[in-house]
Amino acid sequence: MNYYERPTPFQEQANREAMQHFAEHLNQFKTNCDALHGIECNLSVIANDALKSALLSPGRVIQTDDGAQWQHDVDLSNLTSICHRRTSADLEFAVVECLPLKSGEMKEALNSGHNVREVLQAFTSDQRQVLRLWKEDVKAQVREHLGEKYPRQDMGIVVESFEIKMARAISETRMHAQSQSRGIRI
Amino acid sequence: METIPKNEEPTTPPVERLAYSVQEAADMLGVHYFSVYRLIQRGKLKTCHALRGKILVPRTELLKLLETDLR
Repeated sequence: MNYYERPTPFQEQANREAMQHFAEHLNQFKTNCDALHGIECNLSVIANDALKSALLSPGRVIQTDDGAQWQHDVDLSNLTSICHRRTSADLEFAVVECLPLKSGEMKEALNSGHNVREVLQAFTSDQRQVLRLWKEDVKAQVREHLGEKYPRQDMGIVVESFEIKMARAISETRMHAQSQSRGIRI
Repeated sequence: METIPKNEEPTTPPVERLAYSVQEAADMLGVHYFSVYRLIQRGKLKTCHALRGKILVPRTELLKLLETDLR
């Protein structure tokens, strides 16, 4: 398929239909990219706030499923927060997720370490992987959807345009985050 | 007048699927699908792929996570 060719009327129709069908996915994806972007841009501020909170206030206790007890510092989202606990020598930080499954709440420390900034960086790096996973799955879902709806039609160009939209959402946030964090130290 | 006994409709047992899409897995777990992608990324849910590459979550993985039978 030559992607420089104009799309056929079928492909244009399929693109409009797929945009409608996957609109919620695209919106949610953009929202999550923006949320991650917010954390990446304010990483130093969030890390400082967490450190201050750990040193000054006790914070509510969250017990993770492995039995470890953490003290809440700063919320990152409605499911994740930065927490800390005192070890014999130092403070240990973690991003803790409280996920309300039907069978009960699952509480887990996702990333942990003694440097809160590094813990946050590891968390944002993992979230980028999640976004890539999501993008690949949506691309496959679009391919499947179009394959069923428009059998024997080449819809590669439509699938490709979806992938580009989602990849752009990820890369825009990354570029912005890199330019914002340049030269900032804590 | 004779009444013809109604044939009872045969009851077919519900078909158990072997694997579910991310959206279906999210519905079964009671969470947003973004959380399912996060569980997959962390290795909490193992997955397989459909022919066109779509992620599928095996039922056994969901049951393992819920630790209860969903039937």
